[in-house]
Order: sequence, then C-alpha cells, then structure tokens
Amino acid sequence: MPEVRQRSVRRQLLVLLLTAVSGAWIIAATASFRDARHEVAEVLDAHLAQTASLISVQRDGDEREDEDEVDTEHAPVLHRYGRRVMFQIWSNGTTLGLHSQHAPDTPLSTVRDGFSDATIGGTRWRVFSTWDARSRLLVQVAEQNYERDELATAVARNFVVPLAITLPVLGLVIWVAVGRATQSLTHVNQQVASRSADNLTPLDVADAPSEIGALVRSLNGLFERVHGLIEQERRFTADAAHELRTPLAGIRAQAQVALGATGDAERARALDGVIAGCDRATHTVGQMLTLARLAPDAVSFQPTPVELAGVLKGTISEVAPAALAKGMNIELTHEQHALVSGDAALLSILFRNVIDNAIRYSAPGTKVDVEMEVADSDVRVTVRDAGPGIAPEERANVGRRFYRAPGTQAPGTGLGLSIVQRIVDLHRGTIRLDSPASTIGLQVTIALPRVVGERA
Amino acid sequence: MRVLIVEDDQLLGDALAVGLKQRGFEPDWVQDGREAQTVMRVEPFAAIILDLGLPALTGLELLRTERARGNKVPVLILTARDAIQDRIKGLDSGADDYVVKPMDLDELAARLRALVRRSKGEPAALLRVGAVALDSAARTVARDGQTIDLQPREFALLQELMLNAGRVLSREQLEERMYRWGEEVESNAVEVHVHHLRRKLGADIVKTIRGVGYVMPRGEHA
Repeated sequence: MPEVRQRSVRRQLLVLLLTAVSGAWIIAATASFRDARHEVAEVLDAHLAQTASLISVQRDGDEREDEDEVDTEHAPVLHRYGRRVMFQIWSNGTTLGLHSQHAPDTPLSTVRDGFSDATIGGTRWRVFSTWDARSRLLVQVAEQNYERDELATAVARNFVVPLAITLPVLGLVIWVAVGRATQSLTHVNQQVASRSADNLTPLDVADAPSEIGALVRSLNGLFERVHGLIEQERRFTADAAHELRTPLAGIRAQAQVALGATGDAERARALDGVIAGCDRATHTVGQMLTLARLAPDAVSFQPTPVELAGVLKGTISEVAPAALAKGMNIELTHEQHALVSGDAALLSILFRNVIDNAIRYSAPGTKVDVEMEVADSDVRVTVRDAGPGIAPEERANVGRRFYRAPGTQAPGTGLGLSIVQRIVDLHRGTIRLDSPASTIGLQVTIALPRVVGERA
Repeated sequence: MRVLIVEDDQLLGDALAVGLKQRGFEPDWVQDGREAQTVMRVEPFAAIILDLGLPALTGLELLRTERARGNKVPVLILTARDAIQDRIKGLDSGADDYVVKPMDLDELAARLRALVRRSKGEPAALLRVGAVALDSAARTVARDGQTIDLQPREFALLQELMLNAGRVLSREQLEERMYRWGEEVESNAVEVHVHHLRRKLGADIVKTIRGVGYVMPRGEHA
C-alpha cells in the first residue's frame, strides 16, 4: 500500500490555536498601542497647553514689574529631559524674548494659536502656541514627538513581550493536551488494527470519546451486517450441501438397488430413479447458479424497456411441455402491449420460476392462469393455480433460500421463490402471495414499474 | 427384521425402502416426523433410520422426545449435515449411530444389523444357540456346520427366536416383528414357518407353549 500522507489532527489543532492566539494578541496589542498613543497625546497636549499658559501668565506679571527690561536670556535647563522640551516668548509676536537655551531663533511654528507639528533641527516636535492680545506676547512651547512614541511603544511592548515568552509554552501545552485527547483514538485504532479478519465482535463504545462514539457505533453496525452476511452465506452453503447430498444419496442408493435387483422390472424402476435423481440434482445446481449470478455483488443490472407480453408468451411456450405432460393447461389472458423497465432474460427467469411452481404443485388436469393487467404506474402479472396454496403463516418464509413448506410432496429445491424475490427486488417491483377467492390454489401477483412512452 | 425409515425425500426414501428389503430387512417408510412418532410408538421396530431435516417435527426433536419417554429402540441418523457439531448433537440427543449422506446401502445395512445386535446384548455377528448358527450379515444358517437353505421369512423368524432365545414370543409379537405395517399376513403364517423350520433344522428347534407362543430353548436342550 502506498504511504498516504494524512492530516494530523494534533498538528492542525496546534497551528490553528497558536495562529488564533497570536492573532488575537496582535490585534489587542495594536489597539492598545493606538489607544495608549492617543491617551498619551491628550495628556501631553494638555500638559503643553498648561505650560504655555503658565509661561504666558508668568511673563505678564514680570513685564509689569520691569517693563523696559527685555530679557533675552536663556532659561536654564533644570532636568535631563529638559532638552526634549523648549519654549519661546515673542514680544509683539515678532521679537524673541525669553526662550529655552537650545531653542532656535526662528519661531517654533508658523501657527500662532493652538497645536501644530513642526520639524526643527531634524527632529519632529509638537508645538503649542498661544497669543495673549493684552500683553501682546506670543508664547510657543514645544515638546519632542519622540517622547510620545517611546511611551506608546513601552505600552505595546508590555503586550508583545509576554506573548513571545508564553507562545512556545502554550504550544507545548496544546501539543500535550491534544495528544492526550487523541490517545483514545489511537486506542480504538489499535483495537481495530489488531483484530483478526474473522473477529466481528463489537468494539467497546465505552472506551471511545463521545466525538467518535458515533463512528465506533457505525463500525459496530457494519460488523454486525457483515457478520449477518457471513452467517447467511454459511447457512446457504450448509443448505446447498444438504440439497445436493440428498439427491446424490438417492442416486447412489437407487443405483445400488438396481445392482441388487432380482428382476428386470425392479432394476428398470431403480434406474428410472437414478435418472430422476440426476435431473433433480441438475435442476438444483441450475437454480443455485442462477441465484449466485443474481447475488448483489455479481449482477450488473441495466434496465431497458421490455415488452412484457412477449416475455410472457416466450416463457409460457418454454414451460408448456411440462404442463401438457401433467395434462394441465396454461392460459395467458388480457394479453396487451405494455413496457416495463427491466432485463428481458431476468424477467423470463422470474416468470419461468413462478409458472413452473404453479405447474409443480398443482394436481394433474388442473389449469394455470397467467393474467396481465396494465395500471397507470405499473404492469401486474398474476399467476393463479389450483394447487394446495401456501398457508398465510408460511408465506413470509417461502422467499427464504431452500425453504420448503412443511408437507411439501412435489419435487423442488426451495430456491425458486428466492430467485423470484431477488429479480423482483432488482426491478423495484413487488410480489404478493394470496389465495384467490374462488379456489384453494395460490395466486402470485407481481407488479413491475411501467415505462410510459414508446422508446422500446 | 423390521426397520422404520423416516425420510422426507421421495427418491432416497424409495431407494432405502427397496434397497433394505433387498438386504433382508422389512422396512416401513414414513415422510414426516409426526407420522414417525405415531408409528414408532405402536410398532416394534428393530431399528430406526432417521433423517434430521423433516417437516412437521424435526428428527432431533422426535429423537429427544422419544428418548425422554424411555423409548430404547436403536436409532441411526442419516443426514446431509456433516459438521462435527451436528454429529455430536445427534449422538448426544440419543442416536446410536450417525451416517452422512450419500451412504452405501450395504454399509447402512451392516450398521443396522450391528445396532440391533448390540441392543439385544449380542455383539457377535454370528448368533449361536445350541447347534444352530446364524450369520445375519451373510444371511446364512448352519446346523452342526451344515449350511441349511431358508426362505427369507423363515430366516427372519429364526433370527427373532434366536435373538430372544429362552424367551416366549407370542404369535402376534412374532408377526409384528416380521411383517411390515399394513402387510397382508395369513392367520396361520407363523405356524407354517415354524413348521418349515422344524422340518429343516430339527423338531426340537422351536418349542410350542400352548396358548402362549413359541420359544427357542437355550443351548443345553438343543
């Protein structure tokens, strides 16, 4: 058997779960990063505005004290982060007054009121400008954007780092957990793999997890059906042996009787018995072969429209000699054109068996009626005889292979109705056994699906 | 020797009936279990040949029922079922022998004779009472080593008397064991055959117990 690379549930689950977890984590981290950035921006903006407003108020007070002193001094840097913030105070909006030590000589931003972004000395800054109309001072406060990115990145990092650490651990846990869960699958698999071909006892459902309980039950159902089939075949073989051994025993015994016969009449009678036995064994073998050819796995049934009256006429002319030999009469009534979907050869076997039965089981001199009836959806053929009939309680049994109703005297194999049943099933038809109202005989009604139209 | 054939198959039943008659038996043949049960309860068969797959009442059911009732008649099962389990079941149900079809008529006859001998506590094929020796297989009779020709009925009568040596058998008992069911029997047939036996084997071979029946005395008187 070629090695087939099959999907592993374990591997699939691992990949799926890890991807999902990472995905969810990344989405959460991105959202948090954005959120953090936004919040940080708000807080820092407020801070910037507050600073500007403080400077503005401060300057206003100072100016009233020494109005002429224009302070162009640099403000001192008081914190190592001081480099990251700077401010400028422009008197009348045009002359640079007090400013941070590292602030440029040009305005930090062209915007004179509110927030703006600017690039100063190669780095990006956030600038807040406020214009005080009363003191005629323009205050601009700037803060490096770098600050904000760093904060937001720190928040995001708090998300990503634990993920990077826990993901392999999580993978390991999933791998082990799924492995444990699938161990029961492996167990069921071993149970199936290790059993011998003839072991058809059910698997233990209790062992299997609920997810594959249905599979195990289906398997058990299959085992049961296979067991039934094997049992049926075994019984058939036993029955077949019986059916062949008995005529063989008869032939042998009759031959021995012929050998030991003291008179010509006795010998002739025994030899007739030998021939009758051979004919019977031949018939049995023929019927068994027919049934074997009709076995579900052996038959390739390709229905075509079949003209039924023609099949019936052909079959009746085949069996007529046997009827005439018993002084019996066969009659086909209500013969009419009708098409059924089926196989002409099989239908011929079907009707030969039914009519043959009618002849076998009827008393000499009686009549067998074959009647056609065409309905909307099917064509019915009824075969009526004046034989002993079949008791209602026996009718269910006669379809069984080799079954013969108790007290049956006429020679036969007990296979005829099995063959009939099989062919009827193949044609999706129905068969009904009952006694006609007027006589005690048997009435067999076979209904076959009708083909409407003329595509024969 | 009367045997009952219980076989539903027409061809085989007929062959058994004719073939066993050829081999010195007096066979009766019935075709279903129910009828077999009725007949074997009233007729004194020396042995029964029983098919298993019978209509009305299966062979095994019949066998078990009859054994449970205390019927000790030797039973030979003749069947197409050859599985070991079937053989075991058959023998354990009370059969004395089990033969699978198809069989040889001569072997079947020999097995029947053996069954009957054993049932009479007489395992030797050669019956010997006094000076008379009867070979049931070869169907020969000798007195003091001298072979004596007997008609089949005479042979059957002598065999019954020898198998029951020392026991008195009534005329009816002898008739029942010698003639098939429904066979026409002359009212003095047994007397005629006894007469012939005495003429061929000696007057002392069979003693008449007036009003009771006949007996073949055991050794010392013969």
